[in-house]
Amino acid sequence: MIDVLISAAVLASMYGLIAIGISFTWASIGMLNLAQGFIFTAGGYTAWLFAQYAETLGMEGPALSVGVLVFGMGGSALAGLLVGAVAFLPLQDRANFRTRSLIATLAISLMGTQLWLVLFGSQNKPLPPIFGEGRFEIANAGISSQQLGTIIVASFMLAAVIMWMRSSRHGLQMRAMMMNPLGAAVVGVSVRTTGMRVLAISGALTGLSSVLLAQVFFVSPTSGTQPLVIGLIISLAGGLGSIPGTVAAAGLIGLAEAMTARYLQQSLVPFVLFGIVVLILIFRPRGLGGLLEDVRE
Amino acid sequence: MRILELQGVSAGYGPVRVLHDLDLSVNAGERVGLVGLNGHGKTTLLNTIVGLTGWQDGSIIFKGEQIGGRRTHGVGRTTPHIVRKGIALAPQGDAIFPGLSVRENLDSGAYSGATWRSRKRRREKVLEVFPPLAKLQRQSAGTLSGGERRMVSVGRALMADAWLYLVDEPSLGLAPKISVNLVAALCEIDLGDGAMIIAEQNVPLLEGRVDRVLGMHAGELKLDAGESLGDIPPSAGVHL
Repeated sequence: MIDVLISAAVLASMYGLIAIGISFTWASIGMLNLAQGFIFTAGGYTAWLFAQYAETLGMEGPALSVGVLVFGMGGSALAGLLVGAVAFLPLQDRANFRTRSLIATLAISLMGTQLWLVLFGSQNKPLPPIFGEGRFEIANAGISSQQLGTIIVASFMLAAVIMWMRSSRHGLQMRAMMMNPLGAAVVGVSVRTTGMRVLAISGALTGLSSVLLAQVFFVSPTSGTQPLVIGLIISLAGGLGSIPGTVAAAGLIGLAEAMTARYLQQSLVPFVLFGIVVLILIFRPRGLGGLLEDVRE
Repeated sequence: MRILELQGVSAGYGPVRVLHDLDLSVNAGERVGLVGLNGHGKTTLLNTIVGLTGWQDGSIIFKGEQIGGRRTHGVGRTTPHIVRKGIALAPQGDAIFPGLSVRENLDSGAYSGATWRSRKRRREKVLEVFPPLAKLQRQSAGTLSGGERRMVSVGRALMADAWLYLVDEPSLGLAPKISVNLVAALCEIDLGDGAMIIAEQNVPLLEGRVDRVLGMHAGELKLDAGESLGDIPPSAGVHL
């Protein structure tokens, strides 16, 4: 049972990072970012390139780990800005922005996969283990240092971003823009500048989850598809734009996936996850966030 | 000193033209009431100043700087840029942030770096103007009553370090007693070298409280009266 909980927590923390990015982007600029998978792989490949280069320099240990994390997040943040420059800035105040940006980000996602295929080939690229290869015993269950590291780093980053959103001026602007774009413009918040900032931050979080997931699954041209789908599921179930809702949904989906894989069958995981989302949306059309952030319009 | 000078300003939405070649100037220290019936362009005039209309044309000079000009698309794209120069708008319909607390809503009005650092002092001043908000600071703004929301919206505008305050229909939808208090509070604020334009349908609310009254009719300024409202001609289209 403990090992199921551990793998649930690992999955939840990785998926939560992506889902928060999708959720923020949707709530603040009204763009459902289907290029999140492209952004995900961009971080993985950037980290891989760094690791290749660092190897020739003989770099290892904590310096290499930190470098891989930083380059993964940086690469994805840049990819996020690129998506913004192509799909957000030119379309932002045109008619049907939501549909147009959806199509634009889908196009970026499809082209991105081909781009990685051309640049890096179809072979899986491994990243160096950033948390070492140790194992610990907790309550009769083993937890690897990779699992422990993933949970700690992901929770720390999530907590840092949430704290920043709650306390800083820029965070207040972002939350204001999510609630009322007109009100935000009236107090001097530029949708364009803040939107690009949101895309960079969402990108960095996605890049982190890319590096963390690559510890298990390698980097490949299509490795962003699965995280994108799960990220969409979680952000929908959590209620787009709600931070506590998304965190709760990430926990729920992580637990469901871990339990299904353990007690039923790995191949049933997508059925169970989509089933949960359908049920949540039937009974809580606004997602779990509607439970937690009760707002009267 | 001139705070605001509009010359030949037209504005509208799509094919609809709401403002027709309008001229207006507001001096430092002046509190101007903008009266007129619904649908005659009061809100559009205020929105034009901050670039929130569908399209606009004509010169708008704010403290010697041109903030107008011709714009045919991009509703609100220039708005953040303009308000940061020192214009604060309390828009019609409030546009408050329902999921944020009252305090966060007020703080969001103190946008620029320097203003942000002095937000605590500013917030205390706003709470002096609107004492009922003091107890509600931690409450989510979405749960407030209509009058409280209006106070938050106007209070947020007052948080800014602005030279020009634009208040759109402060009494709209409020109980008479509450709206009297709100407008009275607005008219007691010390403007210093700044200025304020209050658009208001309920003309008697402004009686004796503003320095000048402008009447709007069919997208044009028809009347420029002093603070006495008694001698407004019926032709001005302003019904008392």
